[in-house]
Amino acid sequence: MNFGQYFIGGIMPYVAVVFLIFGLVYKIIYWFRAPMHLHWEMFPYPHTLMEQLNELVTEVLTLRSLYTYNRKLWFPSWVMHWGIYLVVFWLVLLLLGAPFAVYLGQAGGALALAGSLLLILFRLFDAGLRKISAPVEYFNLLFVFLLALSGLAGGVLSDFGIRNYFLSLFTFQPQLPLPGSYLTPLLLFELFLIYIPFTRMAHFAAKFFTYHKVKWGELE
Amino acid sequence: MRKVFDDYRVLSDETLRPDEPRVEKFLQAMKKSLQQKDNWTFWLPYTLSLDTCMKCGTCAEVCPVYIASGRKEIYHPVYRSDMLRKIYKRYFTLPGRLFPWLVGAEDLTEDKLNAMAENIYRCTICRRCAYVCPVAIDNGVIAREARKLFDAIDIAPDEIKKNGTQKQIQFGNATGTPAKAFFDMVEFLEDEIEETRGYRVKMPIDKAGAEYLLMHNAGDYLAFAETVMGAAEVMNAAGVDWTLNSPETGVNDVVNYGVFFSDVEFAKIIKAHVETAKKLGIKVFVVGECGHAFEALKYLILRFIPPEDRPFEVKSILELEDEWIREGRIKVDPTKNPEPVTYHDSCKLGRLGGMYEEPRRILKACCADFREMTPNREMSICCGGGSGFAIMEKGDFYKFRMETYGKLKAEQVKATGASVVALACSNCKGQFREIINHYKLPVRFAGISELVANALVR
Repeated sequence: MNFGQYFIGGIMPYVAVVFLIFGLVYKIIYWFRAPMHLHWEMFPYPHTLMEQLNELVTEVLTLRSLYTYNRKLWFPSWVMHWGIYLVVFWLVLLLLGAPFAVYLGQAGGALALAGSLLLILFRLFDAGLRKISAPVEYFNLLFVFLLALSGLAGGVLSDFGIRNYFLSLFTFQPQLPLPGSYLTPLLLFELFLIYIPFTRMAHFAAKFFTYHKVKWGELE
Repeated sequence: MRKVFDDYRVLSDETLRPDEPRVEKFLQAMKKSLQQKDNWTFWLPYTLSLDTCMKCGTCAEVCPVYIASGRKEIYHPVYRSDMLRKIYKRYFTLPGRLFPWLVGAEDLTEDKLNAMAENIYRCTICRRCAYVCPVAIDNGVIAREARKLFDAIDIAPDEIKKNGTQKQIQFGNATGTPAKAFFDMVEFLEDEIEETRGYRVKMPIDKAGAEYLLMHNAGDYLAFAETVMGAAEVMNAAGVDWTLNSPETGVNDVVNYGVFFSDVEFAKIIKAHVETAKKLGIKVFVVGECGHAFEALKYLILRFIPPEDRPFEVKSILELEDEWIREGRIKVDPTKNPEPVTYHDSCKLGRLGGMYEEPRRILKACCADFREMTPNREMSICCGGGSGFAIMEKGDFYKFRMETYGKLKAEQVKATGASVVALACSNCKGQFREIINHYKLPVRFAGISELVANALVR
């Protein structure tokens, strides 16, 4: 077995997951341990757990803030986010052994590809957006785009058989070799997981704090 | 004054010292601001907002300055925040140290520092942008933290520091009114009420042990006396045990300009407010018609001064008026205010204070024709008087206030067809006075208490 197979298929998955989990846990603990700031909430805000969950779920599923206040960016953002959600569902359902997971994987890949491409174009051609964008904004979108592209092109998202490889990772006996076309998307995916906790890609976690701790306040 | 950012200047050359090297001192202050223990008051909202902006530009879509300026890049909320964010990245983050070009990190220069010092005074910290941000990033907190950093290197507008917080601590009020003059002024207002209404209303001063201590923005006695008189009439009609206070018993000005630019100054003033209330032994501290003072005394105080050290309740005069009208403790007749009336939601009372329904219930009870302004409540457009702007005029700043925030507000008022704009905040009143003159609007503004007093049935 060559080194590429061993490294990307056998070592990096563990490195990536360790980085993702420890990175996120570290960040979340770091924020949780922040001193309690002065009241800075904005009214009105949801008070009960149900109201908060309702707002949170609506925002995550529909990107309502963008829809209401920044409509032109809503559609491409919504497409890209749902692409990512579907790829996550693909992974979960694939591990659970549902054969239709492959459809979610393909749909997710296609949406993430289209959404990230549209967002790159918006950033390039909308003057207002271009002016507030640093290279890293394009880099992040390009990362998602290439990840989706390689996943679709390499066929990994439509291969139910990849389930056995993922399961073998849990027993620390990775089933190698993988088809050659799977190595690029897998490596990009691993790098993506490592990248998340150290960047704004972790905004899904940061939002808990910006909403629950700041915007929604906690009146005693 | 030379140009350092746009066509306006809030900071005088003596304050900004544009040719002095200040970069090093600024970076030291910034380093401190990023330490949890040194900046616990806003560390979490501040660092989250520095780190997590996704650059979607949703904030700009609702920013009054950006929109009214014809979408000028320099007034984009992210452009303003990025002035500080670029420095944060360059000096205080690893990616910014290693790959500045990639993450948009930049070295700080004296010129950039000058421009930033001015630009953070183009935003009233109305936080409309923070309300709509998908990630709840707060450009307002970044502007305020930047103001804190500049204050730490002794750069702050005279109007809110030298002639604001410092004067308030020295004289008891930011207007510099001595006790004797204050007593005379109150007597004059009692005479005024007698002249217009035909009966005399006693305005008690420094009455120890009173149930209610009513503290106004001291500027109201000079500029918006109708509000002061109206509130006195309401207190009297309610038959409650109340008092005003003079500089003889401590601070007699409810403003706290520290809210706008400095936690250190905020702390001095809020402590002086608490001391004054304790000294007088009152039960309820009533905040007059002043938006930021309500934010300070109702919310910012909560985690700053332990409950056992502030043995009194804090209420806005609006809460009391609303309660008393609903209880029937004071009787009002809406036909006494027959003109069409609209209400402008002050940012500090509304978005930051949650006071949406009280003024509306009051106005509907006291005015025959109440009309909503659109948009309103949490999406209310800042009038442009916020965060001290209402008292800033040098460097052509009046023009900036009128042609950005003021322009949008004037259009909004016109669309209501109202002839009275009801206001519950002194900064808003200061700004509306100018907007009405500048745009020659066929309206007048009135304090809520003035309209209530006018509707009183005795």
